[in-house]
Amino acid sequence: MNREQPHVVILPEDDRNRQLANGFQLQLNWDRQRWMRVLPVAGGWSYVLPGLSTLQMDHWPQRFAVLLIDFDNQFTARLQTLKAQIPPHLGDRVFILGALDDPEALKKALKKPYEDIGSAMAEDCRQQTNTTWGHPSLQHNVAELERLRQRVVPILF
Amino acid sequence: MLLIGKNGSGKTTISVALQILQRIARDTNRVGELVKPKDLSRTDVPMRFEIEVELEGTIYEYVIALEFPEGFKELRVFEEKFTVDGSPVYTRELAQVHLQRTGQIADFLIDWHLVALPIVHLKPADDPLLIFKQWLARLLILRPIPSLIIGDSEEDTLQPNSQVTNFGAWFQGLLTEAPSAYFKIDGYLKQMMPDLKDIKNQKVGKEARSLVVRFSNTQKDVTLPFADLSDGEKCFMICALVLAASDAFRPLVCFWDEPDNYLALNEVGHFVMALRQAFQSGGQFIATSHNQEAISRFSDENTVVLFRKSHLEPTIARPLSELQVTGDLVGALIRGDIEPQPQ
Repeated sequence: MNREQPHVVILPEDDRNRQLANGFQLQLNWDRQRWMRVLPVAGGWSYVLPGLSTLQMDHWPQRFAVLLIDFDNQFTARLQTLKAQIPPHLGDRVFILGALDDPEALKKALKKPYEDIGSAMAEDCRQQTNTTWGHPSLQHNVAELERLRQRVVPILF
Repeated sequence: MLLIGKNGSGKTTISVALQILQRIARDTNRVGELVKPKDLSRTDVPMRFEIEVELEGTIYEYVIALEFPEGFKELRVFEEKFTVDGSPVYTRELAQVHLQRTGQIADFLIDWHLVALPIVHLKPADDPLLIFKQWLARLLILRPIPSLIIGDSEEDTLQPNSQVTNFGAWFQGLLTEAPSAYFKIDGYLKQMMPDLKDIKNQKVGKEARSLVVRFSNTQKDVTLPFADLSDGEKCFMICALVLAASDAFRPLVCFWDEPDNYLALNEVGHFVMALRQAFQSGGQFIATSHNQEAISRFSDENTVVLFRKSHLEPTIARPLSELQVTGDLVGALIRGDIEPQPQ
């Protein structure tokens, strides 16, 4: 990964979100794989922001961060809580996405392994469709997804 | 697929078993050249090898059991069987072989110290044995030792040895058989080493070749013998050939014992993902690992946990998805908490 070039780091809250990210990364073209890195799991949604602070976002202006969390059915409150703690000047390079409840509920609803769900999410990004992102457990991400499609998707696809 | 488990749980043994099966497919038929009496941990039960593979919608299964009766100096075949979609092509008990492919029924005897698979041949137009043997012979079983890889060769091959000490011959064989593979090799390596200019397999004698690698920046070039690359860089080279071989010879299977060895921590994830992705559209990539970054690049559905209570008991294998993991996987592995229970 050339840190001088646009690149994306994923901070998964837990193992289930890590597996979603793995599935997403597997769908990237082989020559784009190195523009994305999945970091070790944070260990809970409240730990992803401390994780963000270690990323030296100010030092690396081409770095984009995706926080992959569970909203535990508290979407608005949790999104606001996290966004309020992100330094305003980094707001356009940080994205917060996740299942409405948790990935396990998503897995049950879609009847697919986490990796396959992650791959389907990537395919939506590649094809500019909403087949998986439009699922009731994911559709609340619409605003963040739109920002992601403008800033991050062109880096990876 | 990822195989994890504590030291001594049997991960590497799987590659050793695959190698024995592969040697049969590559026409080694003397049992004594495949397995020695010292390889048996128990002599009261046969040593069984079984492999099942789906190739283009057809399921091939091969089973061989070897035994070491009292008074014998080498093992003999106790049982052997090859089936296609569940129907036997041939079955065997000791020396008696029963061939029962449609229209080709026959019974014959074979020395019980010889394996039948390399010997039995069917009509070329309908020979599932040939398809299976070609696939098994081509399987890549890798446990590279970079310090032993110097890049010299006197032949070409599509069959790297497990330590990949014949890398130069493999490189030459791959490019001879599939010249477009160089594009894949070059493209991957330039991502890993942006200053790479090219790789040449120069003639240094009548039959001998030696690999050299050229690096450049805007001002100058430097050419290094392959042997002078770092251990990690040699692993990038091996990975590039695996990716190219996977493209050229689908469906290929690659078993790589600890592919994270010799790599910088920031390279492990991308290295593993490149291999996983290459085999997504055909074939299978199987890795073993103790490295948390490598382990994290797999998921519950494609991770298998191996466990063995003692050296006197068989290995138990369970999909990770069937085990209860508390907290994150890496933490549970560090605590030693991932342990399948015998059924």
